[in-house]
Amino acid sequence: MDRRDFMATGAISTAGMLFFPGNLLANTAKEENLQRLVKPLPHKMDGEWKEFELYIDIHIHEPAPGFKYHTLAFNDSVPGPEIRVNAGDKVRVKFINKTDLNHTIHWHGMHVPWRMDGVPFVTQLPVMPKNEFIYEFVAKPEGTHFYHCHWGTLMHMQAGMFGSLIVENPNDPIKKRFPYEREYTLVYSAHDTNYVRGEMNGMLERMKQQSFLMKEGRFTPEEWSVFDNKEQLLDSMSNGYIPPYSNSRRSNADLPQANWFTVNGKSYPSTPYLFIKENENIRVRLINAGAETHNLHLHGHDFWMVADDGVPLEHPWKRNTVPLNAGKTYDIIIEGKNRGIWTFHDHDTRKVTNNGLYPGGNLLALVYEDLPADELIITKHSGNPMLNPNTGMGGMKMDKMKMGDEKMKMNKMLFGEDKLPKIALDE
Amino acid sequence: MLGIQFPDANSDLGQVFYNNIFMRIEDEKNIVKVGRTLTQTILNEFPTLRDDDAIRFVYALNPFSDGVNTERDQYANVLEYARIFNQRFFVSLHGENFYDSLSPDNFKLNSMGISLMYRVPFVQKWDRNILQEIGVSYNNYFTDRPGYSNDFKSSVKNLIFSTTLNLKPDPINFIDFKFQAIQNFGWDEITALTDYFDYTRTQSTSVFGTFRYMKRKQKRPNYQFTLGGGYKSLSNLNTDSDQFIMIANSFYRLGENFDIGFQYRFTSNNGYTKTLFGKNEHRVQFALVYSFNKIFNKQFGDRNQLLNLEHNYIR
Repeated sequence: MDRRDFMATGAISTAGMLFFPGNLLANTAKEENLQRLVKPLPHKMDGEWKEFELYIDIHIHEPAPGFKYHTLAFNDSVPGPEIRVNAGDKVRVKFINKTDLNHTIHWHGMHVPWRMDGVPFVTQLPVMPKNEFIYEFVAKPEGTHFYHCHWGTLMHMQAGMFGSLIVENPNDPIKKRFPYEREYTLVYSAHDTNYVRGEMNGMLERMKQQSFLMKEGRFTPEEWSVFDNKEQLLDSMSNGYIPPYSNSRRSNADLPQANWFTVNGKSYPSTPYLFIKENENIRVRLINAGAETHNLHLHGHDFWMVADDGVPLEHPWKRNTVPLNAGKTYDIIIEGKNRGIWTFHDHDTRKVTNNGLYPGGNLLALVYEDLPADELIITKHSGNPMLNPNTGMGGMKMDKMKMGDEKMKMNKMLFGEDKLPKIALDE
Repeated sequence: MLGIQFPDANSDLGQVFYNNIFMRIEDEKNIVKVGRTLTQTILNEFPTLRDDDAIRFVYALNPFSDGVNTERDQYANVLEYARIFNQRFFVSLHGENFYDSLSPDNFKLNSMGISLMYRVPFVQKWDRNILQEIGVSYNNYFTDRPGYSNDFKSSVKNLIFSTTLNLKPDPINFIDFKFQAIQNFGWDEITALTDYFDYTRTQSTSVFGTFRYMKRKQKRPNYQFTLGGGYKSLSNLNTDSDQFIMIANSFYRLGENFDIGFQYRFTSNNGYTKTLFGKNEHRVQFALVYSFNKIFNKQFGDRNQLLNLEHNYIR
């Protein structure tokens, strides 16, 4: 490091397309919303094997309009594409590492053969830069699962190396009890983007040096910090090897402090909408691929808890707030019994922020798409007599107040169009 | 308003310098720097204990300074624009207001220059066998040369050549060679040295180089040995005058942020420089070094980080 490098500054600027929720009930809103949902990963058949291809590369990701950062991404997408198979399918995933870092894929919640479990140096060697690995397993058990990188997990998972893996059961007991047509996968994560950049730089730099030594044939267990057994570690230590944990490489304060909270890789106002109709059931698969707990609360409804870690619950039960811990998956059924636009968000509101500013993060909405457009008009149904002279009942009625032109102009200036919802981005 | 006053009137503290207070604005290809900082009168960074240990050999010296302290040769009020080509080539145009001992309150631009540098970022040097850095710099000091009215003719001019070579770009046993030469096209009429102004304004040629071996156990610096030397000849003087320097040093990493160091320096002055700076000197120094840095705003990474070099986040 150049001792004279005082501080480097850079500029991240971008223009993003803002999606105006004022048009939430239009068909275009539903089409646009597809971009906010996880993308299915297509497969090819090879005999009885379903063959998928996942590659990993460095990618520029934009969680919310105007904020971009470098991250790792499966198939150029955060989260990675969704793998969806039937229970009992033979699954083959060709994994291609296009980066200069090591990686593996771990199939979280899946009962794969142990050599396919993706834990480096335990079940396999890491997939080195520009290398490939073929994962093969039979899809079981049924339910909502996910996959993620298991190398340098603290950084690689935050950096976007995760995706959903759904194993469907043709005789799904949940679907029998709560018939539904539509379902949504919501993959939650939390990211310290400054940590991701710093750590990714550190790893890339170390890999450059290690590649140099590899080329020269001088690579040793010490360089790897990888030992065959404890005796080898102790031998190396007596020869001067210092285990990395004994050097204070990072103080507690330097551990990741998430500053971006995402659902399907997006933060508010780019988060997905859950569209529903009156009397419709929708299934929502909640996956926490990050390291923070998210206390998800749905306004105006109690939802059914129907599966825990993919396992269908024999006796579903109702609640309106669920703590989604790191590594958990829950399936919930929302019944369309209370029309409106309802927020569904982390009740730890520190996580409803973007880079420290509220609102942002994992704030999203359940939207009744058959909501009468009339109900969106602010002045018509407002409880504020200043806006709506017909508010209240009986003696409370302030029918003497009339909406003068001046008042209309003032409201237009303050609140824009006479329509809900709006994006509120002022802290 | 920002105000700093050092020291208190009767504190006997002497002078206190602020060396780096500047603003830098940069994008992918441009850097603008305004404020007080290091000047481009040195192009290399030599592994000496202090960065002024070989100052008379490695800096194009400030011809407005009376030589009372070295800060006046190293730092100035700087206005600099650099254009970067392919992340490696730096073309820099700069103007400085160097401290003028004769009129200390003068904030006029009294120097201008241009430098051309080719520099492989440190983090990418494991792919480089030899050339890590090479560059030239031209500096023009607007001195008041008696008898000359033309700004250019009355100025002191310096040309600097610098290079760093990777002799062994090995992440564990790293060896490099650094070299810099300065040609001072000074005033012909100075043929004797009576003060520091004469020393910086007369013609001179200086060369300085270091060999460094760094052991990077587990790819972080563990210990380092340096052997360096330099020679400066002042060819226009009426008495043979030259200077010689030899530096040997070593550093050992005690632990996180702490190093101990040892340095031996020998300097010899001949002719007029002996009168000006004294006889030969042997200097032995021991050092306990504590170094730290803190970046308060982490939103932006460093230009030289691999993520930027290979994937461009600074645009």
